[in-house]
Amino acid sequence: MKAWCACVLVSAVSVVVGAQDWNRAGLPDSAVNAPKTNAAPAPRRDVSGIWDAGGAGIAGPGHESAPWTDWAKQKAGSYKPGNGPRAVYEADINDPLSTVCDPAGFPRLVMYETRPFQIVQTPNQVLVLYMFEKRWRVIWTDGRPLPKNPDPRWYGYSVGRWEDDYTFVVNTIGTDERTWLDNSGNPHSSELKVEERYHRVNHDLMELTVTLDDPKAYTRPWTPRNKMPLTLAPATFDMMEMICSPTEVMDFRKNISDRTNKK
Amino acid sequence: MAVMFVALVTLTTVGVAQNLPWNNPGGAQGAAAAASGRPGPAPTRDIGGIWDAGGGGIGARGMQTSPLTAWGEMMGKTHHSGDGARMVPADQINDPLSTLADPGGFPRDLLFELRPFEVVQLPNKVLMLYMFEKRWRVIWTDGRQLPANPDPRWYGYSVGHWEDDSTFVVNSNGTDERTWLDNAGNPHSDQLKVEERYHRVDRNTMELTVIIDDPKAYTRPWTARDKLKLTLVPSNTDLMEMIPSASEAAAVKSIYAAESAAGKK
Repeated sequence: MKAWCACVLVSAVSVVVGAQDWNRAGLPDSAVNAPKTNAAPAPRRDVSGIWDAGGAGIAGPGHESAPWTDWAKQKAGSYKPGNGPRAVYEADINDPLSTVCDPAGFPRLVMYETRPFQIVQTPNQVLVLYMFEKRWRVIWTDGRPLPKNPDPRWYGYSVGRWEDDYTFVVNTIGTDERTWLDNSGNPHSSELKVEERYHRVNHDLMELTVTLDDPKAYTRPWTPRNKMPLTLAPATFDMMEMICSPTEVMDFRKNISDRTNKK
Repeated sequence: MAVMFVALVTLTTVGVAQNLPWNNPGGAQGAAAAASGRPGPAPTRDIGGIWDAGGGGIGARGMQTSPLTAWGEMMGKTHHSGDGARMVPADQINDPLSTLADPGGFPRDLLFELRPFEVVQLPNKVLMLYMFEKRWRVIWTDGRQLPANPDPRWYGYSVGHWEDDSTFVVNSNGTDERTWLDNAGNPHSDQLKVEERYHRVDRNTMELTVIIDDPKAYTRPWTARDKLKLTLVPSNTDLMEMIPSASEAAAVKSIYAAESAAGKK
């Protein structure tokens, strides 16, 4: 525990220069793309800090999934996404996130608009605070099992453990079937199980792998994020707000619809 | 110090907490939450933990404010609230939070539906994680100043300092004028300054005072929360989700509209 505190202090001190700017969207590309091979070694059992995937986190077009089951075909039959192979015209999109600002939910938060996020470790939890939506989730690390028959939640129910000193593994169930997995309208069922693997390569670099296992919706498990690099941002980094507002979206949609009608 | 303390809480409360169901709604929907463990003095400069105001946090009727300025009156007239002095029939409410699920924003998240929230102290910031809306905010404690001319944000910009070993004071500006202060549709301007005072009385109890200073909207500062009692709950309490969803809000709205139409026939 002392090691964790010391580490955070060191990163805070070493980046205090330049700390006074605020409302930052993310690290500059130069920081995200810079090689991190010379960085200090990864601290043990520590994934805390503010992490930024850069442009890779956004995944606007969606992900290539495993083949859908018949259930998935039926479930997503009414989905009209704005991206991917099933994309429709702007005015016809019915993505619940982009058109009415329903919660993105989990795991869409790690599949789409994975903007900078902060990880905090407490003795019994790992907390993840996302810039996108300004939402947070808890990953229990106190040894509790996943609930047997959970009520659905927008952000699911998560437990985590250290697989080794540098790999934190999170298992999640209890997600809400109303959410889409991504921008291309890939569906999921309430039986979805998600595994996230946060592997800290060195002090400044972490890799995120996300595996989806949803036998009701997909014929086999698939890996939408495969060792996605995350760069450690300064501890003083002030994340901007990026919150979907229904009022703003309605104005935007009206604008689109007005322009479509004029044609 | 703070970290060691949290570890201690975990150990001492694990017996109680195993009986807690998951998806815990907090004390608002039942008996006030039981304190998480043995009583004791307040730890030094530590407000970490999960805190619950019980029913006192909800503030459904809205707040008693100081007199509005002419600008405040004008803004308030556009707010058709579901509670308080501006209350209108359900189908005419235009509360952006309840009818559209726009962000509640700050400081409304302290004045309405202040459900259980978790406070985490890091070396350079204090993080607040709210059950209601499942949103978080950061309070910088690294000595930085409030920005002189901030862009508006739904949740403002906050800095904090320890006034004494048991009182943490937070100052905020840069809020978004579109948000209401409370369920009664009390308005605020972008000149709003908020002071929150978290005074830890003892190990299990904290008092929250919130002072609203907005000379554009109110003739004088006023105290929206006056020593609101917060109780420490076990550190392994699993907070339920309580997220306003736009599609659910729209469904409710259509029910009100249908009822209203039926009533007028």
